[in-house]
Amino acid sequence: MTNEIPEKQLSRRDFLSFTAKLGAASLVATAVSPVVGLVNVAQAAPGSKVTPFNFAIISDAHLYDIPGHKFDGILEKAVEDVNKMRPAPDFVFFLGDLGQTGKRSELEKGKRILSKLKMPLKIIPGEHDWYLDMGAAWQDMFGTAHWSFDHKGVHFAAMNSILVRDFWTVKKLSPVERMGYMEELEGHEAGLWGVREQQLDWLEKDVNKLASNMPVVVLTHSPLWDYYPRWNFQTEDAPQIRAILSKFDKVMSFHGHVHQVVYNKIGNMSSLGSLATSWPWPYPPVQLPFPDAKMNRSDPANFLDGLGTQVVDLNAEFAGGLKYEPFADLMPPAIKNGIKL
Amino acid sequence: MIKVKTHRFIASAGVAVIVATAFLQTTSVSAREPFTQAELAQQYAELQKMVKMGDDLWHSGKLGTNGLACGNCHPDGAASNAHTYPKWQAQLGAVSPLRDMINWCIEVPLAGKALAPSSKEMQAMEAYATYMHRGFTLMPGEATMQHPSVAVKAGPGYP
Repeated sequence: MTNEIPEKQLSRRDFLSFTAKLGAASLVATAVSPVVGLVNVAQAAPGSKVTPFNFAIISDAHLYDIPGHKFDGILEKAVEDVNKMRPAPDFVFFLGDLGQTGKRSELEKGKRILSKLKMPLKIIPGEHDWYLDMGAAWQDMFGTAHWSFDHKGVHFAAMNSILVRDFWTVKKLSPVERMGYMEELEGHEAGLWGVREQQLDWLEKDVNKLASNMPVVVLTHSPLWDYYPRWNFQTEDAPQIRAILSKFDKVMSFHGHVHQVVYNKIGNMSSLGSLATSWPWPYPPVQLPFPDAKMNRSDPANFLDGLGTQVVDLNAEFAGGLKYEPFADLMPPAIKNGIKL
Repeated sequence: MIKVKTHRFIASAGVAVIVATAFLQTTSVSAREPFTQAELAQQYAELQKMVKMGDDLWHSGKLGTNGLACGNCHPDGAASNAHTYPKWQAQLGAVSPLRDMINWCIEVPLAGKALAPSSKEMQAMEAYATYMHRGFTLMPGEATMQHPSVAVKAGPGYP
């Protein structure tokens, strides 16, 4: 598998070429080190803010309440792969859509599979986990849907970004019907998602006392920029989130939902999408902000293609990279060794 | 237009002319009048009914047995690449129309039963996938790119 530390790191020339394509803003932040991706970062430099470490991301399992469903095995494979990663990740984020139709049984199956992870799990919900019972089962099993913690000099903050306005009361929809509307990616009846007032207030308070040089990582199900609102490849109040986090020197945002490789950089925030363990999604009919950060077309005859996990390495300067770990060969040469952060 | 006028003139003419008209009608081609706005609207409504039926099937788990629908991987019909058919389809080992690939997806990823190629259901699926690629250049044989569907701002993506 692809979990071993790559013996041959990306050459400096390759790296600079890709970094240049990623744009000047990214270059400023990343030109220091020639390494990229899953690398065993050296000891922390004296006086640095971050003690180097890595963490893994698994996302969008979309489990069905059907015994022996093929997606069960794919999530199990993701768990096995992450368990084999060296150096071992300090923890694993699951970025939403553990179930498909919001049933407790789906979430329980997912929790059972994820419990085989050898490292701590941190989890947020996606729309598929939520709209059958408005998050009751999910919160009962996993706790609050927004949380924060500090780890080795980095502040992590996660929010539930899939909150829509009430579209079901007027239509007199049953919970199953409401979930049905939310299940469809292009479910145009449900409208745009966001984190909404309460979580914006929480975030503001959460980061209020942090110094501007504090490294910050933010985690949501949906991207914190307007990618393709039609498919809720967006978060309606992302501008407010970015404004709250604008005081920091550097912010990294990781999200699920898009089932694909996608990168953006807005102001101080770099943003990366995650591979799913269910199915890949095609790129929407818009121009990608950074066209090189794009995965290959997957082969529908190989049901593992287009899927995988990812690992983020952070070094002493709060730089590093995200490396996609696809189950089948999926990455073009420009991002095979990771995307610099 | 000439035929129309001829026809109307003939309708009010005498017997001798009717004989001549009979001759004219059997020897001329394409005597049908252009569709009226009302007829066109009706035809369009019929097409949209098929597209809607296809949309519903596209997003229904009922075609398969594992909960999946076409829409799981192909939102708005994206990456169905309707405008690239017919083409060599590696999974089928043959030059295939879109309907054969739809059936492959129903049988393999969805673990369902193939639709009869001439069934109304299949015609509706094709109508939806094709309509979501309206305006695209036909590229029969194109097999290397993944194409999105039309960009949709609101609504189901049609009419």
